[in-house]
Amino acid sequence: MGNQEQMLHDIGVVDFVLVDLMLYLDTHPYDCKAMEYFNHYSRIKNQMSREFSQKYYPLTKDMAESNKEWRWGMAPLPWEGGCR
Amino acid sequence: MRDCLYDEQIDKYPVAMAYVPWQRFDKMYDDLEKAYQDGTVFPELNKPFTGRRCV
Repeated sequence: MGNQEQMLHDIGVVDFVLVDLMLYLDTHPYDCKAMEYFNHYSRIKNQMSREFSQKYYPLTKDMAESNKEWRWGMAPLPWEGGCR
Repeated sequence: MRDCLYDEQIDKYPVAMAYVPWQRFDKMYDDLEKAYQDGTVFPELNKPFTGRRCV
């Protein structure tokens, strides 16, 4: 698995963790320990997405800051093999 | 939301009613890849179906 694919996979795994924690926090809105875990992994995911975006292409529009070329538009489309 | 996780007087509850104990979260899996494969970050919710009963 190439580095790009590996990073994409890892971002997906961290996103899964965030979703699972969110589902728990929705029913336990005062659980500080769970919130700590969520904040921790949320920061990690943001960092990984920023890194991926600089190295390859933006995954979300808030990462699509560009100057020479419009990076969001240049990114491979999902149905063109953009994210296997 | 009344916290009724372990209630000794369980026999005083009306019959034919379903009771779901409240999830108590303590630790989550460190190995995120395993959590991803198992489909949950919570060990207490990791109940793979074994074709007969949950483990």
